[in-house]
Amino acid sequence: MEQAPRDPERQLQPAPLEPLGHPDSGLQAAVGEEAEGARDEGPGEGTMTENNFWLKKIEISVSEAEKRTGRNAMNMQETYTAYLIETRSVEHTDGQSVLTDSLWRRYSEFELLRNYLLVYYPHIVVPPLPEKRAEFVWHKLSADNMDPDFVERRRIGLENFLLRVASHPILCRDKIFYLFLTQEGNWKETVNETGFQLKADSRLKALNATFRVKNPDKRFTELKHYSDELQSVISHLLRVRARVADRLYGVYKVHGNYGRVFSEWSAIEKEMGDGLQSAGHHMDVYASSIDDILEDEEHYADQLKEYLFYAEALRAVCRKHELMQYDLEMAAQDLASKKQQCEELATGTVRTFSLKGMTTKLFGQETPEQREARIKVLEEQITEGEQQLKSKNLEGREFVKNAWADIERFREQKNHDLKEALISYAVMQISMCKKGIQVWTNAKECFSKM
Amino acid sequence: MSGGPPKGLPSTGPHSLLDMPHPLAGSSSEEAVGGDSTPSPDLLMARSFGDKDLILPNGGTPAGTSSPASSSSLLNRLQLDDDIDGETRDLFVTVDDPKKHVCTMETYITYRITTKSTRVEFDLPEYSVRRRYQDFDWLRNKLEESQPTHLIPPLPEKFVVKGVVDRFSEEFVETRRKALDKFLKRITDHPVLSFNEHFNVFLTAKDLNAYKKQGMALLTRVGESVKHVTGGYKLRSRPLEFAAIGDYLDTFALKLGTIDRIAQRIIKEEIEYLVELREYGPVYSTWSALEGELAEPLEGVSACIGNCSTALEELTDDMTEDFLPVLREYILYSDSMKSVLKKRDQVQAEYEAKLEAVALRKEDRPKVPADVERCQDRMECFNADLKADLERWQGNKRQDFRQLLMGMADKNIQYYEKCLMAWESIIPLLQEKQEAK
Repeated sequence: MEQAPRDPERQLQPAPLEPLGHPDSGLQAAVGEEAEGARDEGPGEGTMTENNFWLKKIEISVSEAEKRTGRNAMNMQETYTAYLIETRSVEHTDGQSVLTDSLWRRYSEFELLRNYLLVYYPHIVVPPLPEKRAEFVWHKLSADNMDPDFVERRRIGLENFLLRVASHPILCRDKIFYLFLTQEGNWKETVNETGFQLKADSRLKALNATFRVKNPDKRFTELKHYSDELQSVISHLLRVRARVADRLYGVYKVHGNYGRVFSEWSAIEKEMGDGLQSAGHHMDVYASSIDDILEDEEHYADQLKEYLFYAEALRAVCRKHELMQYDLEMAAQDLASKKQQCEELATGTVRTFSLKGMTTKLFGQETPEQREARIKVLEEQITEGEQQLKSKNLEGREFVKNAWADIERFREQKNHDLKEALISYAVMQISMCKKGIQVWTNAKECFSKM
Repeated sequence: MSGGPPKGLPSTGPHSLLDMPHPLAGSSSEEAVGGDSTPSPDLLMARSFGDKDLILPNGGTPAGTSSPASSSSLLNRLQLDDDIDGETRDLFVTVDDPKKHVCTMETYITYRITTKSTRVEFDLPEYSVRRRYQDFDWLRNKLEESQPTHLIPPLPEKFVVKGVVDRFSEEFVETRRKALDKFLKRITDHPVLSFNEHFNVFLTAKDLNAYKKQGMALLTRVGESVKHVTGGYKLRSRPLEFAAIGDYLDTFALKLGTIDRIAQRIIKEEIEYLVELREYGPVYSTWSALEGELAEPLEGVSACIGNCSTALEELTDDMTEDFLPVLREYILYSDSMKSVLKKRDQVQAEYEAKLEAVALRKEDRPKVPADVERCQDRMECFNADLKADLERWQGNKRQDFRQLLMGMADKNIQYYEKCLMAWESIIPLLQEKQEAK
C-alpha cells in the first residue's frame, strides 16, 4: 500500500500513481495523459482533444441514484442515497465504449475524497462538491434531501465534480482518485491510511496566521479579497434570483384563473362564447408553461452555485499561503533570536531582555562550562534552523509558483464557464419570451373572433 | 290614442308579450308583424326580425343593427339608422384637455367638451364648454329621471375608495377623462338619449349652474307617468326575454367581478415581481465591478434586466389605466340595468293589477278604462325602449370586450417583444471574444 511521505513538514507530495496490480495499467496512463490534453476544455467528459493522439478515452458518469438504508456509526438505521459511478474506456479505433468499472458511492465518500485532495494538493483550487443541503430554494422547490429533483440535480453535480477532477492536469493523476473510481470495497480504509487527517492544518492555526502574517504575497491578499467579494455577490444573486423565480411563478399561475372564468362566462354568451372558451384554454397553457421554464433555470442556478463554492476553494489556497508564510516568518524570527542569544553568550553582553538573563542575575552566574554547553546547543540549533529556513523558503516559493499557475488555469476556466452560463441564461429568457408571444398571439386571435 | 284593442308590439313577435293576451280582447291579438295600416303614433315603429326567437342573450342579434326606440317626440322624424360607422352621424362629442382649478373653497378638475353637430336642436354648428365631474353626475341623474325606460350608460366611480390614489395625478385624470368621453359618446350614439333636452344643455350652456337651478325640464309623458309608479305590485309573469336578460346580467356581473379580481391580482404579482427584478439587475453590476474579462458581459446582463423591468412597469401601468376601469364600468352598467329592469317589472305589475281589478268588476262588455290603457301603453313603450336598448347594449358589449381583451393580449405581446429584443441584443456581446485583460 502506497504511503504518503513520512516527513510532514515537507511540502506534501501526492501519493504517486502506481497501478497496484490493476490489470489495465494502460488505462492509468491514458487518464493522466489525455487529461493534460483536456486542460483547455471545460468539465465535459474527459474526451480527446484534436491534439491528443492517445489510444483510449475515458468516460466517467454518475448514472444512477438509489435510496438505501443501512446502519450508521452509532448502529442506528439511516436512509441515504447511493450513486452509481461508471467508468468507460473508449477505443479510439472503433469508438466503442467498454464499461471498465462500476461502483456505488454515497455523498460522504465524495466528501472524504475531496478532503483528502484538499490536504494533499493545497496549491490547487480543488473543484467543489454540489451543496450538501438545498439552499437558495424558491418556494416550489423542495429543501428536502430525499426529494427526487434534488437528488437528480445532485447526481449531475457529483458527475460534474468527477469530471472536473478528471480533467485537471494534476489531480487526475492521483491514485486515491483513481481508486475512488475503481475500488469499491476498502477504499475508505485506504484513504484513511494515508493519514491525511493528521496532516490537515487546524483551523485555529490558519486563522491565527491570517491575522499575524506580516508579508504575504500581495497577489494572494488581493485574491483572497476577490474570493470574499465573489462569494458575497453570488450569494446575493442566488437569493434574489430565488425570489424572482417565486414571483414569476405567481404571475403565471394566476393567469390560469382566467381559463376557468372565461369558460364559465362563455357558457352564458352566444357569439362571444367560442372565442372566450378557446382563449381560456391558452391562458391555461400559459399558466402551466412556467414549471418547465423555472426547472431549466435551476440549471443556471447550479452553475452559479458551483462558482460560489469554488470561491471557498480559492480562499483555501490563499489561507495555505498565509500559513506557510507565517510559518516562515516565525522560523526566521526564531532563528534570529537564537543567533542573538548565541552572540550574547559568546560576548557576554546582554542586549536583550531574557528570563534566563534575569534569573542568572538573581541566582548567580553560570559557570563557563555551562555557558559553553549552551552555546554549542544553540549553534546546533542555528545550523538546523538555517537549513530549515532555506527549505521553507524553497517550499514557499514552489508553492507560490504552482498555486499561481493553477489559479491562472482556474481563472480562464471560470471566465469561459460563466460566459457560457450567461449565454445559456439569455437563451432561456429568449425562449420564455417567444413562448409568451406565441400564447398571447393565440389568445388575441381567439379574442378577435369573439 | 285609438280606441281599438291594444295591439301587440310588432317587434316582439309572436312569442313573448303576446303569450299574455289581453283578457278583454275578443279574439286573439292581431299579429302586427310587419306593420299596421294605421300605426299608433305612440307605438313602436320597429323593424321586425321575423320569427326569430328573441330571447335576448342568445338572440343572435347582428351587432349594430338594433331597432331604434322612439317616444312621442320622434313622431315626425325619419327613422334614424343607428350606424356605428358614423356615416350618417350628425353629432360628434369629445372630452379632452383636463385642467386643474384652485379656488378658495376647493380644488377640482374641469374637462373641455367639444360638440360638432348639424342637428337643428343646436343653434351653432360647434360648441366648446368646460364641465366638471359633478356636472356629468347631474346629467346622468337627469337622464335617468327623464328617460327611465332607457339604459343610461354608467359614469366612472365618483369616489376613489382605494385611499392612496391621488385625485389629481396624471394617470387618474386621464383614466377618468377616457371614461367620461366614453360616457358622452354612448349617449351621442343613442337615438333617443342624444336628443334629450338636458344633454343638449349640458353640451351647450355657458352657465350650467343657472340652468340646474331652474325648475324641472320637460319630461315626456311616459317618463312622467313612470316616475309615479310606486311599486308594490306583484308581477304575474315576466316575459321570457326580460327574465333571461335578468339572469344573464346576474351571472355576467359575477364573472366580471371575478375577472376584475384576477386582473388586480395579476397586477399585484407583477408589481412584486418588478420589485425583485429591480434588485436583481444591479447585483450583476456589482459583480461586474469585481471582474476583468467578465465585466462587460455581466454589465450587459444587468442592463438587459433593467430594460425588462421598464417594460414590465409599462405593462402594469397600462393594465391599471386601461383594462381595469373598463371592467368596472361594465359592472356598474349591469347594476344600473338591473334597476331599470326592476322598474319595468313594476310597470308591468301595475298594469296587470289594474287589469285584474277591472276584470273582477265583471261587467258585460266592459269598456277598457282609460287609465288601464295608459298603463298598457306605458308598459309596452317601456318594453320596446328597453328591448331596443338591450340589443344595442349587447352589440356594444361584444365590441367593447373584444377590443378590451385584444388590447390586453396586445399589451402582453408588446411586453414580451421588448424583453425579447433586449435579450437577443445581448447575445453577441456575451459571445464576443475579449482580449486578454
